[in-house]
Formats: sequence, C-alpha cells, structure tokens
Amino acid sequence: MKSFKLLLPILSIAGLIGIAVSCAQLKTIPGLPASHPESLAVGQQVNCAECHEDQQKGTMKAFSAFSHSQAFVKNHRFYATSDDRLCATCHKSSFCADCHTNKIEMKPSTRYGDRPDREMPHRGNFMTLHKIEGKLDPASCYRCHGRANNERCVACHK
Amino acid sequence: MKKACCTLLCAVSLAATSSSVLAAEVTIESSTMLGISRLDVPGAAKENLLPTTEFLGLTANNLADGNLSLHFYGWGRADLADNSYNNDKTAGSLTYGYLQYRFNQANANARAGRLFVREGIVNEQIDGISARADLPMGFGLSAFGGATVHTSHISGENSDGKGDSLYGGRASYRYKGLLELGVSGVYESDAPTLVTRTAGDYRRVGGDVWLTPTHKIDVIGHSSYNTETDKFAEHSYLLNFKPTEQLVLTGEFNQLRDQSYLYSWTMFSGAALNPNHKSSSVGVKASYTVNNNLELAADFKHYKREFDSANRFGGDVRVNYKDNSVRGGIGYHYLDAGADFALSGNPSASYHEVRCYAMHDSKSYFAAIDLLGDFFKDKIYNENSAWEASASLGYHITPAVALSGDVSYGRNPRFTEEAKALLRLTYNYTTVGGKK
Repeated sequence: MKSFKLLLPILSIAGLIGIAVSCAQLKTIPGLPASHPESLAVGQQVNCAECHEDQQKGTMKAFSAFSHSQAFVKNHRFYATSDDRLCATCHKSSFCADCHTNKIEMKPSTRYGDRPDREMPHRGNFMTLHKIEGKLDPASCYRCHGRANNERCVACHK
Repeated sequence: MKKACCTLLCAVSLAATSSSVLAAEVTIESSTMLGISRLDVPGAAKENLLPTTEFLGLTANNLADGNLSLHFYGWGRADLADNSYNNDKTAGSLTYGYLQYRFNQANANARAGRLFVREGIVNEQIDGISARADLPMGFGLSAFGGATVHTSHISGENSDGKGDSLYGGRASYRYKGLLELGVSGVYESDAPTLVTRTAGDYRRVGGDVWLTPTHKIDVIGHSSYNTETDKFAEHSYLLNFKPTEQLVLTGEFNQLRDQSYLYSWTMFSGAALNPNHKSSSVGVKASYTVNNNLELAADFKHYKREFDSANRFGGDVRVNYKDNSVRGGIGYHYLDAGADFALSGNPSASYHEVRCYAMHDSKSYFAAIDLLGDFFKDKIYNENSAWEASASLGYHITPAVALSGDVSYGRNPRFTEEAKALLRLTYNYTTVGGKK
C-alpha cells in the first residue's frame, strides 16, 4: 500500500513533465471533431461503416468497431471506458446519465416509456427479479449501485 | 443541498431563456413529468401519488474564445399528493455541472465542476477537475481529482461509506490502429469507520487493452487489482469477430474475486467477504444484420459462483421500416438457475422472459407499445408470472415541444395489480447543431 501511495504522485509528476515537454508538439496531433458534422436520426442503429471506410484520426480505431449493432449496445461499457471522447461527438453526457448517475429519480424505463427501443434496464417488475439477478451476477449491480445511485437500495438493505 | 439544487435549476433556467445574451450555441433539454399512481398494499393505507419531476439540461458551446463550454444537467421533484418516496415532499440532484475547455488538437480538454470520469478501470463522479490529452508517439495521459460525490447514508450509519476525496488517472499508448494499452488507477481517501458494517478503502490500479490485429477482430478488456487486498479484483474481456460486414460474433469473459471487487461496497460489507470466493461468467452472442430493416441476435451466457452455476440463452429480433420511423422488436430468454439463486424456499430461480415492442414516430405524433412477461418455473410469492403492458402516445406541438402520456398495467408477485400513468412535456431546443 505504501508503495502505491508513493508511486501515484511520482507517476503524476512524470505525467505533468511529459505534458509540458509535449505541449509544443500537440498542435500536430489530430483530434476528433467536437461533434458529428451531420445529425443522425433519433433511434437509428448507427452503422458508421456506411460512410466511413477508414480509421478515426483521433483514436486510430476502425469506425466499423463502433457501429451500433445489438452486440455493441450490449457491450458498450468496453468502448466507453477508453473512447468516451468518440461517444461525445454524438451523445451528450445526459445520454449516459439517463442510467449511469449518482442519484436517479425514476427507473430509466419509466422515464423513457415512449422509447422502448432504448432497451432501458430494470423494465417491468425488476424488484422481484433483482433478488435472483443479484445473486447470479453481483457485478452487474455493483457497476451502477455499488458506489453511486444507492438511495433506493438503502430503503430495504438495512 | 436541495436549496442549492433548486437555486441552480432556477439560475440555469433563467440563463437558458436568455441564450441570446450568452451569444453561444445553446441546447436546452427539459422534461416535465407528472406521475399518477395509486398504491394499494395489503395491510397499509391506500396512497395517491402525484410526483412532478423536472429534468433540465443545458449545454452552452462556443463561449469565450469558442472552445469553452458549459454543461449542466439535474432534476428536481415535488410531490403534489402523498409522498412518493421517504418522508420528503421535495428532492433534487445535480447530476453534472461543469465547464470544459476543449483544445482543437490532440483530443485535449480540461474540465472543472461536477463531472463523470470514465478512463480505463475508472468510472467515477467527482466535484473537481479533470484533464486529458493525446501526446506524441502514440501516448496519452489523463488525470482527475476532487471531492467524492456522496450518496445516501447507509442505514444505521452516518455516511455512505466512501472517503471524502478521490483522484487518479490513466496513461495510454497506441500503436497505429492495431493496439492500445492503458494503465489506470483510482485512489480514494480513507473510508469512514462504520458501526454495523465493514468499510473498505477504495483503491485500485489496472490495465486495459484494445487489440485489432485485423479489421475483423477486436479484443477489448481490462483487469483491475485491489491494492488493499493485494489481489486481482476483476478480469473483463470481450472478443469481437466480424467474418462478414453483417455478422458480429462476440465472446465475453468476466471473472471477479468477490472481496477484492466489492471491497468498498459498504452496504453489503464487501470488505468482509471471503477473499477466496470468485464469480465468473462466459458468454457468446451472434448478431446478424440481414438488411437495413432487420437484425437478428442470439446469445448464451454461463454464470458460475462458488455455490452454484446457471445458464441463460435466448434471442432477439429488431426491425425498422420507413426510414426508421417504425421500429419494433421481440425477444425471448430463459434463465436456467438452481435453488441457490432462488428466493428462499423456492427449488429453482429459473424463468422465461418474453418481450415485444413496437413504436412509430412521425412529424406530428409518436406512439409505442411494450409488453413484458416473466414466467417463473416455480411460483414466487404464490404467483406464476409477472407481466406489464405499457402504451405511450404523444404529439409534437412544435418541432421542439412534445406532449405525451404513458399508461401501464401489470400483475406481479410484489403487487397483485400495478397501474401507473405518466404525463410528459418535453422541450428540446438547439440554436445550432446539437447532439442527441
């Protein structure tokens, strides 16, 4: 533990030095645009490969990897943790915060009852099912409720 | 906190209405919702609930030299009849509110305020600052730090079990479009001492990888290490294989060491769990886009815990027509799980789940129906099933303003009958461009 405490400030300082040294060259490094040049239809299962054949200059990954197939939507956490800057070209932070937030007022599926295609979690009678699903895969609860959004949990878990 | 939230909501609302004064690209998103429901729980007094909730978001771009932006999102609720939740008539929360300066090159930005950080193994909300930039030769760096955003106190405790400050960051390296490696860490100040539970300090380091040996294959994932327990907390990896443009095959592997992964989950005293217990899951999914109007998917997942294992399998069909204005889907899944996953007294936790929905958008109106049914292999609280049917109908008063209403009815083990309605007034306006 002591080594970790020692290591983190050293890494931070090294990083700052690295940034300072690199600042002069930053202008040559491409970045993603602030937003997608064309607005996309609401509810569209975006297929990036329809228009893009190349790799993104900003992240150097193939555009096709980000096409919103069912598999992508199901596994979006893998993409968001390393490329949320790409997500941000089309989605505002509130799009993520509809589910992933610190304190949520109502079930996302209730709030977006007019958008069943968004596959919001905890649809229907999840209060009963969570007693099964929580035992099955505790990580699935923890990712959203472990360190945030616990207000409804503490009402029963005493 | 509530007063602060209300004040902030009002202030931002006023600012939003005077967007011309700000001379910026402004996006306002507002949803005002009136929920209508009646609780009729055996042995308790009947309650009429009329919670009114306002979700308000504001994004102002092109401030100052054009690279500065303001991002705000929050909600507030007032109960017009019986209390919809706990003893408070009102509630509110600032989800995020930050200023961002975005550099034109190197994906560099700096943010200050209440914000979310998602970097490698880090997924946190802080009141603080963050910065990131791509560096020469494929390197990248990000860092964040600030005060922890606390949540509700754990029952019987005077805290949520979290420390008061949080910082960390991620360093990455990428080689062309083939490989990206990241190292990230998060460090929270000491967790408070608790009365009835075991608190664990939240400190982790980890690595992440994105490997694309060919355009047809991606391997993405991360592992994290808990420096308090000196053990790995999680391995989580995804393999994507695209043999054709239409077909995506994915394989997923997740393994966590219960104590190390759930160490700071105070509500369940994660730090006191058996250090040797592991949970894992392995899954496969095939997603096939037949054409622009039809997508098929099938999946299987195997769960394993110390005490038992379970399987889930099923499939989904998604359709859309008329330039995406008509969309629909149907899905079926079956969970095959034994008594150890069941509610106490039940011989199994197995159940079938069926869902179908359809929706239509037009310039004038929009409508949706959604049906969900869970059919239990063994009765839960003397009920064979739980189901819910929902319908929604809305009208675009103007391109920016829409009024809609939802009704839903269902039966389930928790409530014999459950009927709800909701009225929704949305206002989404962007002066220029905008995001969904």
